[in-house]
Amino acid sequence: MLSIWRISWRNITTNNKKRFFITLLAIILGTSFVTAMLVADKTTKDVFDYYEQMYVANADYWVLSDEHSYSEEMISSIQNDSAVTGTLLALDKQAFFELESDHSLNERSVRITGVNDQNSPLLKLPVIEGSLDNKGIVITEAVANLLGKKVGDTVRFTNMGEAKVSAIVEYTQLLASPSNWERAESTSFRILAPLDMLREWTGQYNEISYMRFQTKGDGEELFHSLQQSFLGSSVFIQPVVADDLQSNDIGGIYTFFYIIAGLSIFISGFIVFNMIYTSVIERKKEFAIMKSLGYTQSAVSKLVLIEMILLALIGTAIGVPLGIWFGDMFIQALLSVFEFDMVYTLNWELPTLVAIIIGFLYPIVFSLFPIYNAGKTSLLFTLKMANERDGSTRLHILRAVVGVGLLCFVFIDHPVTYAAVLASVILLFPLLLIGLSKIFTPILKSFFNYPGIMATKNLFQQINRNANTAAILAIGISVILLLGAVVESAPQGYEKEIRSTYGGDMRVTSELSWSAEDITKLLSYPAVTDVKPLAEAAPITWETVNEGKRQFSVISVSEDGPSLFADLQEKDLYKALTQKSTVLLGDRAFEEWGGNIGQSIRMNSPSGEQSFEVIGVVKTSHHSGYVAFMDATNLSNEFGWTNSFDLLLTVNSKAIDSTRDQLWSDFGNHLSKVQTVEDEVESTTSAISGMNELILVMLLIIIGLASIGTANTLLMNTYERKFEIGTMRALGFTKQQIRNMILAEGLLIGLSGVIGGIATGIVLIYVTSKSELMEGFISFQFPISNIILAMIAGVTLSLCAAWISSKTASKLDIQSSLKEG
Amino acid sequence: MIKVNNLKRDFLQGQQRTQVLKGIDLAIEEGEFVAIMGPSGSGKSTLLQLLAGLDVPTDGDIQINNKFLNKMNEKERTIFRRKKLGFVFQNYQLLSTLTVEENIAFPLHADGKLTNEKSKMINALIHSVGLEGLNHKRANLLSGGQQQRVAIARALVNNPTVLLADEPTGNLDRAMAEEILGLFLKFHRQNKQTIVMVTHDIFAAGFADRIILFRDGVIDKVISRKDSDYAKYLANFMA
Repeated sequence: MLSIWRISWRNITTNNKKRFFITLLAIILGTSFVTAMLVADKTTKDVFDYYEQMYVANADYWVLSDEHSYSEEMISSIQNDSAVTGTLLALDKQAFFELESDHSLNERSVRITGVNDQNSPLLKLPVIEGSLDNKGIVITEAVANLLGKKVGDTVRFTNMGEAKVSAIVEYTQLLASPSNWERAESTSFRILAPLDMLREWTGQYNEISYMRFQTKGDGEELFHSLQQSFLGSSVFIQPVVADDLQSNDIGGIYTFFYIIAGLSIFISGFIVFNMIYTSVIERKKEFAIMKSLGYTQSAVSKLVLIEMILLALIGTAIGVPLGIWFGDMFIQALLSVFEFDMVYTLNWELPTLVAIIIGFLYPIVFSLFPIYNAGKTSLLFTLKMANERDGSTRLHILRAVVGVGLLCFVFIDHPVTYAAVLASVILLFPLLLIGLSKIFTPILKSFFNYPGIMATKNLFQQINRNANTAAILAIGISVILLLGAVVESAPQGYEKEIRSTYGGDMRVTSELSWSAEDITKLLSYPAVTDVKPLAEAAPITWETVNEGKRQFSVISVSEDGPSLFADLQEKDLYKALTQKSTVLLGDRAFEEWGGNIGQSIRMNSPSGEQSFEVIGVVKTSHHSGYVAFMDATNLSNEFGWTNSFDLLLTVNSKAIDSTRDQLWSDFGNHLSKVQTVEDEVESTTSAISGMNELILVMLLIIIGLASIGTANTLLMNTYERKFEIGTMRALGFTKQQIRNMILAEGLLIGLSGVIGGIATGIVLIYVTSKSELMEGFISFQFPISNIILAMIAGVTLSLCAAWISSKTASKLDIQSSLKEG
Repeated sequence: MIKVNNLKRDFLQGQQRTQVLKGIDLAIEEGEFVAIMGPSGSGKSTLLQLLAGLDVPTDGDIQINNKFLNKMNEKERTIFRRKKLGFVFQNYQLLSTLTVEENIAFPLHADGKLTNEKSKMINALIHSVGLEGLNHKRANLLSGGQQQRVAIARALVNNPTVLLADEPTGNLDRAMAEEILGLFLKFHRQNKQTIVMVTHDIFAAGFADRIILFRDGVIDKVISRKDSDYAKYLANFMA
């Protein structure tokens, strides 16, 4: 006796092999796309977590100062405390590489961190070559390559001394350095040296910048007692928190790619729906016979459900491994775009499990309606079909009315507008297809002769299915165009945001707090028109509303100070901030915190644990919004951070380079960083520009996936029209004419999809550019290169998709096709 | 005009080879109206499909107007069919997306030429098959009889050398069948149209000049209107 599984298997593999294959291909691609995103996202998070964990190592707390360094005596009691199991002393010092090649001071600037034990468990350094012998310096592989140094080679530092390279290590956050000279203009190199050596070079004997230590248990008691004992001094203690959100916003980028993955699932799901729905319609007679033989409604539905389960299983079995491979390639591309010199291990276990569940479920979810419909087949199905025809006219009118209604959402500035516009595109596409086919008839006639005209007529036979297919292509194109426009606009948006919130033209950071004399000297520079001090307390640990530990910076602001955030009520916010225990959060910090305005946020300030009322959330370019702002007076008096290591200069734009050189020359002994607003714009926008290429690849994949839908639809149309194609052949249509007819149908679907997609994309870009929710971040523009690619790829891939069906149609046996009638 | 020599057609059914036509020899003169009759499976429809170039023989020759159909390739047969042959099907085989006029014009469009002269001819044909005023009506909205009239007009639109008809009245009631057969007779008489019609119906066959009876893949009997026992034969058959 045949099992129901075997019957279902035969149904999907015997009836329409090509259709089965194309549907399976769509499931495989959809599943692999989602798998790739899940694997890439998880792996990327793990990579950043790994590097963050490597940075914090086994340390539980660290003792820092709001001055550059402090006396080792301040922490001698901690070193002797029985609750402390390990300590690491570090001193940071700015220096310059002494190089044979010609590079500016700016490019040669290097921060040397002297540590008392390079092998400490509180410091994890993955050695590639050499050893951590506490005698020489430790550099990353990227720096070694750039400087052309090997283990044992000598590196010289201007006015300090020289040391041999004792170890070359993998990328680590502590030693994050530029990998090319271009990036070296705005980012300092970082290397590790023995503490004693650095002290000898600098004369800062007995001084440290910070101490890390590990405790038995959680060390909470010691932490609180030290917090109390450091009160009133420049020294303060912070728990060590692994939080890298201030230095990267890669999570936000994945939101972007998840939208595309969702789109691919939607397109694949639609292809599955189309296939199974047509299959059910074709087999109504078969179902009716089954029911007449005693099959129940649920038994018939079960038969179709099992067919879908089999397809989903095969699709998942192939799609998931393929997706893992895609994910690996995607991470490589992403890390290269963002110039991260990171080593990663693919984390596929959990994402694979999730992908298997998604890959298995979504084809079934998309086919639920046809499955139900199969079971509902009436024994008097012929009569029912006659009734359905009347109903479908009403359905067309309803579809158009609802479509127009949803399109009106473009006038509403709300996120739901996007969903409404996309839904309206699907609903209105039959009208668009009818209109476009009339417009294109003369063109098709000139290209394909009479088969071109027949193609336009044929499209009306299954107008909903053909329109849905074109609509899916249109939605794919429009969403990618929108995302592409966002990516293209983002540099301008970021630049606008950076320039309006940077607070000046140049930010100069020193190891020592800036004195009044320094400021006077700076104001004497002919190109410098203004100098404003900036106090940034970092690192400051804080708690989310769910009591998660996080870490960011708190920056001082005042009404007469530099403008560091953008808000319409900027003046009111400055005024409100003068109230005690108040703070403003950057948008990303606010999101991560999870609370509401008016609630309090707990922070470990240099003056101990404190709560601050969050009075607002603002947009700022500083640390990509993962930051807090506090009134300058409150930061000093209440928070306990008194020094300013940064100055914001307003500089004549023509004299930026000369000013930078002069700064290094005059303050080189304590200057640690000079960054211009242009540097900040460049470093923020360069990676985004690189994402354009990824977007183009995504566009091609989405159009390819939608074209699989076109191939599937045309194949179904061909099989349904066997009788008519047979008749045409009998009446004298050659095989070539049949092929041309199907190609013209594919071209029309593809062209409609592309035109509809471009039009919808432009509407979405316009809506986004005008949206107050985006705060002018995106400007209205035509993403010309993406539009051209969409047109070429859309038309070409649609023709390729049609070619499959045209081959099938031209090979149909005339006699058996005629019998279909 | 039509010459068939030693025509054979075999079909494979699984492992078994079935010979449907077992060496037919047949000649049909220009302007002749021939009906082919026989029980199901006797090979009459297969012969018609071979004459239309929709199928190729296993062996033997088919000549129409001195052209060997069996020596043509697939494309040549298709072009020959649309230029020289007209075909009327039992179930009309109209294209549902096209109007009456468009259905009739289809073979001309397929040939890439629709001159004003041809357009006038289409109108004349619509008139002659009695479908005036229905030019722009969708074919699938017509009655069975009207659809078959469209099919006849379509078959005649290219001035075919031969009109082939496969059970043209099979789906029609007697009155409608008589009207359709009347049309066949009209074109046969007015235009000297050669007609080869396959039918089960002796009433329909009675309109022909000659009746060819098939049995088990061979010609069993040929009766001509000129034969003295023609009327008697028909009467017996009907009885």
